[in-house]
Formats: sequence, structure tokens, C-alpha cells
Amino acid sequence: MAEALVIKGLSKRFGGLRAVQDVSFTVQENETVALIGPNGAGKTTSFHLITGFHRPDSGSVLAFGHEVVGLKPHDVCALGMARTFQVAKPFGAMTVLANVMTGAFLRDRHIAAAQKKAREAIEFVGLGAKEQTPAKDLTTIDQRRLEMARALATQPRILLLDEVMAGLNPAEIDQAVALVKKLSASGLTIVIVEHVMRAIMAVARHIVVLDHGQKIAEGAPKEIVENPEVIRAYLGSYVHPPAPGDAHA
Amino acid sequence: MQTSGNMKWLWLAVGAVVMLALPQLVTSSFAIDIFIRILLFSFIGVAWNLMGGYAKQLSLGHAAYFGLGAYTSTIMQVNYGISPWIGMIAGGVVAMLASLPIGWLCFRLRGPYFTIATIATAQVLMLIFLKFRDFAWGAEGTTIPNLGSAPLMMQFEEKSSYYYVVLGLLVVGLWITHRIEKSWMGYYLVAIGEDEDAAEAVGVNAPKIKRDIYMISAFLTALAGTFYTQYIYFIDPATAFSFNVSIEAALVSIVGGIGTLWGPVIGTVLLETTSALLQSWLGSSVGGIQLTVYSLILMAVILWRPTGLIGFATDVYHRTLRRKPARA
Repeated sequence: MAEALVIKGLSKRFGGLRAVQDVSFTVQENETVALIGPNGAGKTTSFHLITGFHRPDSGSVLAFGHEVVGLKPHDVCALGMARTFQVAKPFGAMTVLANVMTGAFLRDRHIAAAQKKAREAIEFVGLGAKEQTPAKDLTTIDQRRLEMARALATQPRILLLDEVMAGLNPAEIDQAVALVKKLSASGLTIVIVEHVMRAIMAVARHIVVLDHGQKIAEGAPKEIVENPEVIRAYLGSYVHPPAPGDAHA
Repeated sequence: MQTSGNMKWLWLAVGAVVMLALPQLVTSSFAIDIFIRILLFSFIGVAWNLMGGYAKQLSLGHAAYFGLGAYTSTIMQVNYGISPWIGMIAGGVVAMLASLPIGWLCFRLRGPYFTIATIATAQVLMLIFLKFRDFAWGAEGTTIPNLGSAPLMMQFEEKSSYYYVVLGLLVVGLWITHRIEKSWMGYYLVAIGEDEDAAEAVGVNAPKIKRDIYMISAFLTALAGTFYTQYIYFIDPATAFSFNVSIEAALVSIVGGIGTLWGPVIGTVLLETTSALLQSWLGSSVGGIQLTVYSLILMAVILWRPTGLIGFATDVYHRTLRRKPARA
């Protein structure tokens, strides 16, 4: 298996805040890796650094062997790395089709060709019936679908999904999980930032845990949930499992 | 609007015939003057709308390009005897080149800060032309030598000829807008206007697209500047770089509907006609009435129909006739 994304020593400070400190991890081709951690751990900042929205103070990001640090977001996208945003950013005034065509124009500037590519992506994420709906009228899950379709239309090899399941109800989470699995089955390499553990367990083969900007653990999902460092990061320092006779509350 | 193909061509043909016949049917020079002003400001609005409307980069400094176009052609004509037809294109090129450093500076800013910076650029250019007297006549300005009937020098005895020139400009502006709107560029512009980060994330080189559309917009605005100077036979920094031109360009588009092909035209027809008619009927008895009504129209549109009259018309059309959601 080839290495799709190699991140080495990534660091970023905002004033006195060390948002990301010396983070390294590697994503293999066609693997789904989850980036987890408590709020403020540096997950979204890492995404910004990887996709060119922020420039890291130090470190390197190799996408299929190309150095990405220093490139603008549109160049990163052209290299085959597409992302979605934590807060969906649809082009509200445009229809679903026009939104996704905007992504498709990256590879082909002819209207008809872009329309064809866009329709494929829209079908893939299950928005086919809403092609002509203005994006601002979509529900939360459909906006997330739209973001994925728009990213897919740029024909990426690596897809970075930033909390695509936040704010969804359990049934919708199941749909989203199925969609991520389908994306992975189509051959994409996926990095996913997520809080919904059920979803992470279902889709990720490998998990990277951040806390206070640092990587505190990395491994298979089963190892991660039992890792004491991870439990401490999520639940606080002095937690011990309740003993059977402890139930007087 | 999604009228069927044949209907669209029929409407265009009818519109073309009416527009061509208009100065023959209406001979009042006052009326033709109003038509010329409507066409001119429609054209400036169309030029502004490419960047301000589709990409939502709200410039209030388009007078910079209007003035550069006007001065380039006038200097070439008065000092070197070169035809304003050539000067007009040269002015467009000067404006395009000027838009590069101006854009480089202003596009670092977003939102209201961008708008303020564009105002400053037009003001700075006006000051430059005021101060450097040897270069372009300073504050006094200059009149254009009247050659009588000289079509090759863009001078006509008939007012209707000016009408056809500016009608031609408007058609070119609308055609360019139409072509851009229907191409990838149109999608990219709207995407930038909606959310620049999201556009970048799907591969849109936003700085380059903004630079390109600013150049096109500046070029077209400069053509209007040359035409206007030729039409009034006079140029000075205060008229060429007038803040009113910048404001009008934005207002007609906002009232008519930004980011739409016909928005600036509709907006100009409403605003210019109202203001011209009110001024001629009531201007002597109720001073400033046209400005008051103008402001009221503006407030009404911004309060109740921020999508402009086009948006309003589309809504009504779909609600009453089609019962379908408006096209986005």
C-alpha cells in the first residue's frame, strides 16, 4: 500500500496558543483515518494546515509525494485533496447542481462535461431528487451531502471530512456512515474529523488522537478506546472505573 | 428567466426594433438626452455588475476607470489629434492596466473595507489630475474642439447618433455579461460572491478570478468615460472622477437586481426616468424633489426587495403564472 498523506512535525501557533504542536501521522492509500480529540484539540486547525487555509509555522505535508505546505487552497485541491467544512458552506444562492458544477469545473471547463460529472457526484451522495433546489433551502444533512458532492466533483484522491455528522440525528448518522463507507469503497483515501464515536468505530481503520494540539495516541479503534491517555483526555484525570459495590448514589 | 428559446428570440427581436426605431419616433432632444443617459448608466451598471453583482465585490470606485478612459481618449485627441474611437480602446487598456495595482491593493481587504479602499482610489486619481496641471489641464479642464459632423472623431450633429453609439456599447456589455454568466467563469464569480473560502476549497483561484473580472469591468467602464466626454464636449477631474458615477453604477445594479443580466438596465430605467421626469416637472417649484424620490425608491428596494426588481418580478411571475420556485 502506498502512502497517500504523510504529515511530519506540523506546528502552528496563534499568538500564545499552540494550536498544533509537532503532529505527525501517515495515511495509507484507500485507508480511512479518523482524527479525534476533545474540543480545541487542534483537529480543525490541522485540516486548515493540511489544505492550505493556514500556513504551518513548521512541518511538512506530503500528498502522494508532493509538498503541499505553502500552496494555496485551490492548488491543494488541484493536487487531488478536497475537503468539507465543519460548518457547511454551500453557495446558498445557487442550485445544488450549480454548486457541484462549480467543483467539477476544476477538471473540465465545458458546461456539458461539468454537468455530467456533477450529476454523477450528486447521485453518489443521494441528492439526485434535489438537483434544482437552491442550496440555502437544504436540510443540515443535505447540506453535508452537498459539500461532499461538491468536493467529489473536483475528483480528489484524498477527501478530508470535517465533522460531517455533527448535528445529525441517529438515523441520519447511519446514512452518513453508509455514505463514508461508500466513498471509501470507491477507492478514496479519507481523513475524517468526528466526535460521534459510533460513527468513527464504524468507518475508521486507524485513529489519531489529539489533545491540546499534540498527538497523544494513535492506533486501531480497539486499542484507542482502551488507551488510558485517551480516556484521561476525554474524561479528566482522576477517573477510575466504578467498582461493582459502588452503586450507592 | 427561462422562457422557451423561440420566445426569447422573439422578445430580443422586438426589443431591438423598438430600440433602433426609438430616436426616429421621438424627436424631442430632451427625450433623446434622457434615453442616452439611461443607456449610458445602464452600460456603466452592467460593467460594474460583472464584479460587484456576480462576485459581490462591492466597488464604489469605478469612477477611477470612467475617468481614466475619459482622460486617455481626450489627451490623445486634443494633444495628438488621435480619433476617440482609438482613444476609447486605449482608455480601456489603460483602465485594465490600472486595475492591476488597484486590485492588488484593494483585494487584500474584504467586505466594507474593500469598498472603502475603492472609494479612495478614485479620489486619489481625481487629486492627481487636479494637481498636475501641465499634464491634463488641472482643475479647469478643457473643452473638446467641436469639428461639426465628424463621425470618425466620434462627433455627430444629430443627437440620435450618440444614442446609437451608446446603445452599441450597452449591447456589447450585455453580450459579454451573457457569455460570462453562461460559462464556468459565471459559476466561479457567484461562488466567490457566496463564500470565498468554499470556492477556494473546490479549486477556484479566487484572487486570479477577481483580478480578471476587475480588468474586464474596468475596461468597459473606461469606454463609458470616453463616450461621456465626447457627448458633453468637456472634461475636468470633478466630472471625470465624480463620486456620483461610482455610486450610480452600484445603485442602478442594486435597485434592478445585482448578479442578473438585466438588473442594471431595469434599475437605470426606473431611477433615471423618475429623476429626470420629476426634475423637469417639479424641479423649479419643489427644489431637490428628484433626489428625495430617488432616495425613497432606494430605501424601499433595500428594505423590501434586497434582490432588486428582477428578483421581485421573478417572484411574482412564478407565484402567479408558474407556481414554481424561482430559479436561483
